[in-house]
Amino acid sequence: MNPRGDSTSGSDGAPEPRRKSKKPKYSRFTQQELPACKPLLTPAIVVTTFAFIGIIFIPIGLLSLSASEQVVEIVYQYDTDCIPEQLQNDKVAFIQSSKTNKTCTRTLTVPKNMEGPVHIYYELDNFYQNHRRYVKSRSDKQLRSKASETVTTNCAPEATTSDGSVIVPCGLIAWSLFNDTYSFAVNSKIIEVNKKNIAWQSDKEHKFGSDVYPKNFQMGGLIGGAKLNASIPLSEQEDLIVWMRTAALPRFRKLYGRIETNLAANEQITVTIQNNYNTYSFEGKKNLVLSTTSWIGGKNDFLGTAYLTVGSLCLFLAIGFIILYLLKPRTLGDPSYLSWNRNPDGHY
Amino acid sequence: MKQICLSVETSDILSQDIKKIIIVDVVQAVMASDFSISQFRFLERLLVVHGHWCYKRIAQMICYFFYKNIAFGLTIFYFEAYTGFSGQSVYDDWYMLLFNVILTSLPVISLGVFEQDVSSEVCLQFPALYQQGPKNLFFDWYRIFGWMGNGLYSSIVIYFLNIHIFYNQAIRVEGQTADMAAVGTAMFTCIIWAVNLQIALTMSHFTWIQHLFVWGSVATWYLFLVAYGMSSSLISGNGHQILLEALGPAPMYWAATLLVTLACNIPYLAHISFQRAINPLDHHVIQEIKYFKKDVEDQHMWKRERSKARQKTDIGFTARVDAKIRQLRDKFQRKVSSLSIQTQP
Repeated sequence: MNPRGDSTSGSDGAPEPRRKSKKPKYSRFTQQELPACKPLLTPAIVVTTFAFIGIIFIPIGLLSLSASEQVVEIVYQYDTDCIPEQLQNDKVAFIQSSKTNKTCTRTLTVPKNMEGPVHIYYELDNFYQNHRRYVKSRSDKQLRSKASETVTTNCAPEATTSDGSVIVPCGLIAWSLFNDTYSFAVNSKIIEVNKKNIAWQSDKEHKFGSDVYPKNFQMGGLIGGAKLNASIPLSEQEDLIVWMRTAALPRFRKLYGRIETNLAANEQITVTIQNNYNTYSFEGKKNLVLSTTSWIGGKNDFLGTAYLTVGSLCLFLAIGFIILYLLKPRTLGDPSYLSWNRNPDGHY
Repeated sequence: MKQICLSVETSDILSQDIKKIIIVDVVQAVMASDFSISQFRFLERLLVVHGHWCYKRIAQMICYFFYKNIAFGLTIFYFEAYTGFSGQSVYDDWYMLLFNVILTSLPVISLGVFEQDVSSEVCLQFPALYQQGPKNLFFDWYRIFGWMGNGLYSSIVIYFLNIHIFYNQAIRVEGQTADMAAVGTAMFTCIIWAVNLQIALTMSHFTWIQHLFVWGSVATWYLFLVAYGMSSSLISGNGHQILLEALGPAPMYWAATLLVTLACNIPYLAHISFQRAINPLDHHVIQEIKYFKKDVEDQHMWKRERSKARQKTDIGFTARVDAKIRQLRDKFQRKVSSLSIQTQP
């Protein structure tokens, strides 16, 4: 008996219907035969890659390091220095009292020629602007337009005054605005500090409305920082805008202003600091920083050093692999390395 | 447990009713099983080609998943130490949402669906490669912990390099410093690059789909940043214009990305190069033979290795027949020897 019925169907009167093939339609995608490149990691590629990375990274590292070395920086910590000797025991009382004289005059020496613009920063330490409750405590809607003045959802406890009227700008970030001021003079001649364009342009145009004015700001019992001029709209309050960009680390700098002129080496700059901001309750530190910038930014050797380290490590790896391939050469595609040839009793 | 269903061709001599019963049974079996094949001869391909590929794909996919999520998640934990453990994330919420949805998921899917260490013809010619599965060479604890360790190392490099590069100094020639949004965006860019470059190093079979998904994921990240930055600041918050205005023009951002990406992938590259040099696995050697076309040059060697790659099995029908013959032979020999002892006075 023929198990396949169709071949003996010729004896029937009616023709046997043709069996439709159930084979699925062929396509390269469904049969996983798409054209593909199958790169192979050969010794040449390994050594070339490591050498190439090393050759690219080392010059970048040297460039970054030299740029960082060119930056001239003056850092002056003034939080303990600017409190008079006799009141050093109770710094918090000093800073919170309105009767003490907060003016502090010091002289800084310029170590090297500083080409303008020289950027002025205030640096705070141990100030956690990145704390979750602090970062939340703002109302972007309110900052943006006058119409949303009453939207103070996350701003508690600095959302409304005791009689219920809304605070603009609300929240802890605005409330803790830094309020030390600096002024500079050389040979009794005042150096002008340019406080324009210290904030990001997009912040001034899109985040802080030009129709929003400060209202009921710092009116409460506990004053956290600076007061704002109620006649200047928020889009022009650049100090506030810079401060509201919360920093990533507890030790941070924020741009205060720029000195557009050059500062010659060995010049004596007289700086008058108004030491208003209370960092003493939480043992924070305050620094005044004057710094030039290079094409890559401020003074930080880390980028250059890291590039040099990784670059030299790659060159070292390249040399190491060359030695390895010389000491233990393995012809590529040599079938004696297959497991059943190396290890005849057991497959691998 | 995997179930395989083999269906039987129905002959024309059966009546329609019986055919229907058989078809219903078969359809139910097909629906209940993981794999179904219609002829016994397909079993060879199922095991040796698809089984082999499936094992490798799943093992690599799972290890890589652990790696990329560890590399991403641990950076968030490290940041907590710098925020007074308040729970603030260094990344914007949208970045974290999209990480596993669109930015790193498609390359893994393409790895799991399309990856082939050797082509299907080679799999059929070298059934011994299938043994890599039962011997669990690609999903043993060494591999799993190795990938996790790679994730841990990557997270440390990504986090600490970025923090110390964007420390507290100006990041641009105009003097602005980096805020949390800038540091977070830079760090996330490094993660996306490192993780996608890593999967490109893992894959050995690149169709246009893999290229599209891997490099497309990186491109999607930049496109997303631009789009996110251009959206209203009510949506993007501090991420408003972050790439176009703040980070894009800063050489430090691009320098940091390049450094961190390569620093994360160099150990893996060194490891696989070393392994290929000292202790190559079977599929490595076969890949090399195919790449340098030695199978075409030296047909004799290829045939010889193919025959060696077939091993007599100790399970299955023929094996059982052999075992039975052996058993009977032993019994017969014992009988013969006991008879011969008895006949000895």
